[in-house]
Amino acid sequence: MPRPFVLSLDGREFEIRIVKIDREKLYGRVEIEAFDEKKNPAQLLVLAPDGKTLIDKGGTALATVDENGESISRADLVAVDEDGQKIETVPSSFTQVNVLKRAKIEDYLSQLVKSVYVIEAVDRADAKYLQDHLAAGLIYNFDFSYRGGIEYDSAFVIGNRSDAFMIVGRPAELEFVKLNQSVDLDTTEEEEVAPEEISFENLT
Amino acid sequence: MPINISNAKRRDAVVALEGLVPRRAIQYLDPHGRPVRTRRLLKTDVTHDLPTLMKKRKSPAALATALIKEDPEIDIEEFGMFLADTSRVYVSKKGIVHLVEEQELLYNPDGTLRDKRPRKKEPQNINTDIPLKWTGKFIKKKEAVQKFIFTNKKQLVHVNGLTFDFLFDMAKALQKKDSLLLIRGGEKGDEPVIMNRGGKAYNAFLEGRVKGESYCLILHLSNMELKRPKEVEADAEE
Repeated sequence: MPRPFVLSLDGREFEIRIVKIDREKLYGRVEIEAFDEKKNPAQLLVLAPDGKTLIDKGGTALATVDENGESISRADLVAVDEDGQKIETVPSSFTQVNVLKRAKIEDYLSQLVKSVYVIEAVDRADAKYLQDHLAAGLIYNFDFSYRGGIEYDSAFVIGNRSDAFMIVGRPAELEFVKLNQSVDLDTTEEEEVAPEEISFENLT
Repeated sequence: MPINISNAKRRDAVVALEGLVPRRAIQYLDPHGRPVRTRRLLKTDVTHDLPTLMKKRKSPAALATALIKEDPEIDIEEFGMFLADTSRVYVSKKGIVHLVEEQELLYNPDGTLRDKRPRKKEPQNINTDIPLKWTGKFIKKKEAVQKFIFTNKKQLVHVNGLTFDFLFDMAKALQKKDSLLLIRGGEKGDEPVIMNRGGKAYNAFLEGRVKGESYCLILHLSNMELKRPKEVEADAEE
């Protein structure tokens, strides 16, 4: 069972657990089987630039190197901010009370999503206050770090009538592009679409 | 990458579709204060993995002895080399093969096999003669964020003076409606968006923002609803 952590809203605290979800858990998965002309099974591998070395899963690694290409241990790296100042590490969200702040929809829509979690309240009666706010369409966010480290991710808490979710990611570098004139757009035939009309099952 | 998209007046234009990167204010330095970078390198290849090594030995014990005494799993000349411009290839017992027959195995969330079919690689539909369609179907932002997960996003950017106006108008209309617009591909305008051949299919939604005389048009891509999987429901009931 996942370990719990604490969210706080308007001075009230809620102990929750998070369970990671993804497309596979909702709709299943697709695997590819391949065969050569003689029906022998074929396997997808990585071919190195030398044209002969074949690499299977787990056959490559990432290394941090200096200007001369010499490998450097991650333990020796120093994280700095834009001004070159050393950055202190942040604690894991599981070791502190995480205060929820109201967030704008646009902030949420600016986020590049890394992971999605279902929020399970340890005590459902306790969490009703939070669920009621989420069901009303309010969005909250807080700084989140699973294990602690150099920087926080941004976690948004969103919900509907029955469930609450935590969506973790980073804000995208969005750019407002300038122009020198604007023209009103004529409206054309429009209609509202119900989300239920849009199929997700067939996106395979 | 280029994207051919139409507006509410069914006028279309080819504009740029840019990837988005996370805002990042952190960089890493070496102990001397010099910048570092990340490189991919070779750790091992198929001629040094377990099945190949086992073929040459009679028993696991013989292999274990060899691993200790001879290091047959290591190629000191090759391992550690930097990798760039790699490619993915199919390999059968005949070696690299260029003609393969692919089958798709579709599994349900519970792991049971649902279907097996020949793999069909759908072509991309974001930059063809048929522009992506402005469907006129809007979803309020508030409702959309409670229903869908936007797993990927891109930004539309003009490529000349004419497309300035084209995109600015789109952004302005969308901001005014406080809604996301469903974007579809294909001749009938009823297909999900596919960015590259054989790639993932997405339900695409366009969001527009305007600030003064500048605009931001974001294409939100979603292949997942915001809902609790049945598996998690069962866990919660236990």
